[in-house]
Amino acid sequence: MSHSIDFKEIKRIENERYHAFFNLAVILAVLTGLEIVAIFLPFLRSTLMTLLVVCSVIKFFAVILWFMHLIYDSFFLFAVFLSGLAIAFGTVWALLYLFDPADMDATYHACQFLAFKRGCC
Amino acid sequence: MIQAVSHVHPPTATGIENKKLMMWLFLASDCMFFGTLITTHLIYRKLFPSGAVEEGVVNVTNTFNIELTSFSTFILLMSSFLMALAVSALHKMELKSFRRNLFGVIIFGLIFLGCQVFEFIEFVHGNPITGAPSLTLSNSVFGSTFFVLTGTHGVHVAIGVLWLLGLWLYSFTGRMTHESALDVEVAGLYWHFVDIVWIIIFTAVYLIEYI
Repeated sequence: MSHSIDFKEIKRIENERYHAFFNLAVILAVLTGLEIVAIFLPFLRSTLMTLLVVCSVIKFFAVILWFMHLIYDSFFLFAVFLSGLAIAFGTVWALLYLFDPADMDATYHACQFLAFKRGCC
Repeated sequence: MIQAVSHVHPPTATGIENKKLMMWLFLASDCMFFGTLITTHLIYRKLFPSGAVEEGVVNVTNTFNIELTSFSTFILLMSSFLMALAVSALHKMELKSFRRNLFGVIIFGLIFLGCQVFEFIEFVHGNPITGAPSLTLSNSVFGSTFFVLTGTHGVHVAIGVLWLLGLWLYSFTGRMTHESALDVEVAGLYWHFVDIVWIIIFTAVYLIEYI
């Protein structure tokens, strides 16, 4: 008896989630459309970059929170995924910092200069 | 109330099913994997803006087919929606709805892979109409990082399609019970992850070239 009541409750919750999933799918499609249209509009590069990054972050977190059930599940799972994401973001930041093209150019010119000096002496 | 039914699996120390926890740990590690691949692409793109070391310029916007990529992005996003519906249907034990939605995910996944294969072939052969030169894994730095990154993602999609196909076929054996919902949920997590990685790749690799 209690099993059937529980099952009814599950059905009610899942039906409610259906609307959340549908709304999210529409939002994701609209945001993607917005991104595609925006790149052809004559906006400043920095404005477009900000728009693209914000749209991507919204889509990313919308999917992990609702479609991947993180908003309904234990916070521990969110923490597990977020820790991986933090390490990944740290790695991305470190690599971009280490291999900054401006610094790479400076290093390249320094090497050229040293090679030139060695050649002279 | 819900937990009384969903706790058909043995209790764990964390209160979370082991399969689900392991999948989240795997996805967290996969974030690092794709993070380094995307960064490598972005760094080499900046270090070699011409695209090639000796061969000359690769006009990336000429090479890309943004309409096709946008279409495949939309397909992948909608497959995520269907996947969420499939998991929900199995929680409600609506097997017909589950099969229908899962089949939709498989078809959408195959369409995405088809688009990617078509795109790769187009890149390798070049496009005489737009004047886009051939782009291969070895003829430019851009080609190397691009194909490795998108190819790795494509392999993830292909694994996901095979996994879901297995679950879809299993649903016809009559052995799919409420307990199987966890297995489908874990496969769903993997599929959604493939989707979120593509969200980042689409922006960082494709759209960024147009601004």
